[in-house]
Amino acid sequence: MSPDPTAPAAPFTRYRLGTAYDEMFAAPQSPRSHYRRLYERLLELPADELERRQTAADQNFLNQGVTFTVYGADEGTERIFPYDLLPRIITSAEWDVIERGLTQRITALNLFLRDIYHDGHILRDGVIPADLVLSCRHYRREMRGIRLVRDAYISIAGTDLVRLPDGRFAVLEDNVRVPSGVSYMLVNRQVSKRVFPNLFDHYNVRPNEQYGQALLATLRALDPQQRPDPRVVLLTPGVYNSAYFEHTFLARQMGIELVEGRDLLVHNNVVYMRTTAGLERVDVIYRRVDDDFIDPLSFRHDSFLGVAGLMHAYRAGNVGLANAIGTGIADDKAVYAYVPRIIRYYTGEDPILENVETYVLTDDAQRRHVLANLESLVVKAVGESGGYGMLIGPHSSAAERETFRRQIEADPRNYIAQPTLALSQAPCFIDGGIEARHIDLRPYILSGERVVIVPGGLTRVALRRGSLVVNSSQGGGSKDTWILHD
Amino acid sequence: MLSRVADSLYWMSRYLERAEHTARLLDVSLQQLDQRPGDAQRRWERLLASLQSTTVDSEPLAITASLTFDAGRNESIVASISAARENARQVREQISSEMWEQINRLYLHVRSATMASIADEPHEFFRSVKEGAHLFQGICDATMSHGEGWHFIQAGRAIERASATTRMLEAYVLDRGGALTQSNDDQAWVCLLKSCTAYEAYCKVYTATIRPERVIEFLILDAYFPHSIRFAAETIQVATRAIAAATNTAQAGRVDRLAGRLRATLDYGQTDEILADLRGYLVPLLQLCMQLDAAIYQTYIAYPADQSLSA
Amino acid sequence: MHYIIRHLTRFRYSAPVTESMMEIRMQPRSDAGQRCVSFRLQTVPRALASSHRDHNGNIVHHFDIPPRHTQITVTAEALVEVGVPPPPDAAAGWDALATSLPLDVLDALVPSHYARPTRLLAALTDAVWPTRPATPLQALRDLNHAMAREFAYAPQSTHVDSPIDDALHSRRGVCQDFAHIFIAAARSIGIPCRYVSGYLFHRREDHDRSAADATHAWAEAWLPGVGWHGFDPTNDIEAGVRHIRVAVGRDYADVPPTRGVFRGIADEILDVVVRVQPTSAPAEPEPAEAASPPWLEPVVAADDLAALQQQQQQQQ
Repeated sequence: MSPDPTAPAAPFTRYRLGTAYDEMFAAPQSPRSHYRRLYERLLELPADELERRQTAADQNFLNQGVTFTVYGADEGTERIFPYDLLPRIITSAEWDVIERGLTQRITALNLFLRDIYHDGHILRDGVIPADLVLSCRHYRREMRGIRLVRDAYISIAGTDLVRLPDGRFAVLEDNVRVPSGVSYMLVNRQVSKRVFPNLFDHYNVRPNEQYGQALLATLRALDPQQRPDPRVVLLTPGVYNSAYFEHTFLARQMGIELVEGRDLLVHNNVVYMRTTAGLERVDVIYRRVDDDFIDPLSFRHDSFLGVAGLMHAYRAGNVGLANAIGTGIADDKAVYAYVPRIIRYYTGEDPILENVETYVLTDDAQRRHVLANLESLVVKAVGESGGYGMLIGPHSSAAERETFRRQIEADPRNYIAQPTLALSQAPCFIDGGIEARHIDLRPYILSGERVVIVPGGLTRVALRRGSLVVNSSQGGGSKDTWILHD
Repeated sequence: MLSRVADSLYWMSRYLERAEHTARLLDVSLQQLDQRPGDAQRRWERLLASLQSTTVDSEPLAITASLTFDAGRNESIVASISAARENARQVREQISSEMWEQINRLYLHVRSATMASIADEPHEFFRSVKEGAHLFQGICDATMSHGEGWHFIQAGRAIERASATTRMLEAYVLDRGGALTQSNDDQAWVCLLKSCTAYEAYCKVYTATIRPERVIEFLILDAYFPHSIRFAAETIQVATRAIAAATNTAQAGRVDRLAGRLRATLDYGQTDEILADLRGYLVPLLQLCMQLDAAIYQTYIAYPADQSLSA
Repeated sequence: MHYIIRHLTRFRYSAPVTESMMEIRMQPRSDAGQRCVSFRLQTVPRALASSHRDHNGNIVHHFDIPPRHTQITVTAEALVEVGVPPPPDAAAGWDALATSLPLDVLDALVPSHYARPTRLLAALTDAVWPTRPATPLQALRDLNHAMAREFAYAPQSTHVDSPIDDALHSRRGVCQDFAHIFIAAARSIGIPCRYVSGYLFHRREDHDRSAADATHAWAEAWLPGVGWHGFDPTNDIEAGVRHIRVAVGRDYADVPPTRGVFRGIADEILDVVVRVQPTSAPAEPEPAEAASPPWLEPVVAADDLAALQQQQQQQQ
């Protein structure tokens, strides 16, 4: 039997194209132009070379301490988050659309939050149903009428983009409360530069290591007193938080103090930090603690993670917070369905990045349609993130669908539904060969004196074959994202 | 430096010193050969008294098991090392990764051991605990900046060591009805010296002739031996002065006075006077150590917010 | 009518605490026919109180006490003028509620923490309104009467954080429970309704069920033409010149008279003394005796708190 000349060569022997958009191949064995160099390099490499580099990359993560601690049986052992060594490549033209689209989107969402917490024009004009906003789990009435520096509600966003089968990017989800993952974007770059040094040089990739400085500048701009040298701190829930590594990483990148709630106190509406040299005033807090827990006086009384009286200091204009309290309205998954209208309402422009079709289940007709088609749809709880509270119809059992049906009927406001998307696929190094896996992209948007999007983002990979869930808590991994210069 | 971080560094260090101290005492006591009936019982009673243990066990192996593995007992090795590691975890970003790895390794080591697994060679186990603690100190000195945080670590260890040595001496004195007698139980004094890893150092200074007053003098007043109380007092003063300088706080006076008084008590201690009322000398030392601990806490960690604001 | 109100609150702690922080909602509102002529707040230990208007338009005073202490006394004194509310428009129908409503009114339609629909509530509303009443006002009056008829006033039968189902099940409760049930029921038929905390002046000739010399709670529904109109389901009356409004919100969670946190491990004992006195002349209230109320004991010096905290944090 002679070898089939059209069959893919090693290490691509197991690579399959499907209905989803393929990031690397326009057709079998025919890579897109910006992937050609990577493709050729992979064909040249000796069989075990990729394996060797993957091992080296994993070791790199361990050495840098990019780990999370496992509790329970293997108490005290350190694990790394799965990293795929093949970079995901995005052209300059594609990035331009993403950048403009995300800038437009965060600008509109900030105007939306400013409006909701003040005059509510958009509700009176009937662009979005008032009860939808008033019933948002993350709507904070305490924020009504509070003036913020530069009306900066969302300073840091991580927006999840997916690529549709026709190659266009669409927004799947906004994350405008305490988005995480940016440390992996930065560490992935450090590692991929070491794994493919020549390839990286060849590709003329836009840098992303300026993120720390850009974030610090964004945070400094939030100082309500506009002092020349405000004290900025990062507030973490503590060492047991799963994103603790990121908190320490970012604090180090910015050279700011990493504090817990118990390190801070409020006196006469001013926030102080308790140091061995006495109390020191704090001007801006990059908080990685949720609204509910951030001030036991104003919100959850049983919180040990927050700072009592913080809301008073905030209202008095003595401290800046990133993100503001109450931004969660803007990433409520039911409000998401209205974001294209929100963009048109505030900017007068058409959305540059489109939404994924979304059914709002408080609408009777839409709910009936969804309940009749659960096996082909994705259902999500509106206030959740991280891949929790989700039903993926095509991969669900009858019992799971029945559970969701009952939950939807009991509380339709709490759910939305979307068609099952064929997320685009990209080559990944799996079990000694290269296979296609579904991916998304989370760029990080900073909105301070102006909107800054560091070129790139976190490309998340659904490492299980056929899986559409990219969340790290659900078996996902990540890879570096190369945005090319022109 | 954040107060919480300083507090964790200080306690990480104290707890680790405590674990090493307990391991040393158990190790020495288990290896002791008894000449007379009743010696063993008195020795273990002294050990329990010097560790302030409330265990009701009286049989050596049961005491050993309790003081080594009973995680619910504050003075046990496992509890001390767990507490040291927990404090280290809270400040992982402030210590070197090598320090974290070592304390974590030590923790996993003691957690995986059981009384059955160490029964054949308890000495090997206790040696590994002591070595693990020494290694941590060496790594700490070699890999961490000798700044404010490092000085909190030094202060914690020295205060713990001064208190532990004082308590041990007190237990020996009480055992003799409060007075020193020229008894012929040399073994007990050798045991005391070994419990402070001081036997060899003592012999270098005084030869192998064991005289109770010399043992006492050596463990309290020797200026060069790292387990003597005087040595610890000097370390405390150096560390607390460095901390005061680094923080430039106006509230450091109390800590400085206490550290100075402790040091003066030892620097200018008269052997004959000390021996005349040994207990009367030791009790105030212990009180000074406790006052120092409280003063450091009130000056740098949990000072009243209004005091700092008005300052 | 003019009233002088004295509202004394004392917190006692079983062990010394530090860094107390407290919010106070005790200043009567100046709106809807009521005017707070003067208000004075004093605390022991002394603290610098600042104030702001919350999103419901209530005045919130807040302060913090960093040094250690074993008790806090808050004395609020107010002089208030209360007018007779205008009578509601008995003819206004349901249509008027269907038109576009202001945001704060819409917010009074959304279920809230203590006032959300339950199965037991539905049973009550089905019984009260077997068919839809002719007007919203009629519906609310039916509800007010029904609650007075069907529920017993029973102090201490529920807790400050009891869900409405406790009272719905036992048919007993206090003013707070009745207000919450009233609110949830009104919202369930589309009438915006909110919670009012305040005081009720008891005259000798009144037969109020609610306790004299205490804080009180009732409900306000939004009625076409008049706006917010008060219903007191505890006493089966509509709010009038005896109802002194302090704070409004979606339910009790928005308007507690005091809300505080402190650092330390201690039990808290709360004593409240309220006195409402009518006054003919709208004069300033007498100088406060608040700095040393008669039942204030001297602050006892307790064990060193720092040492206590240290023990709690790190067992020696």
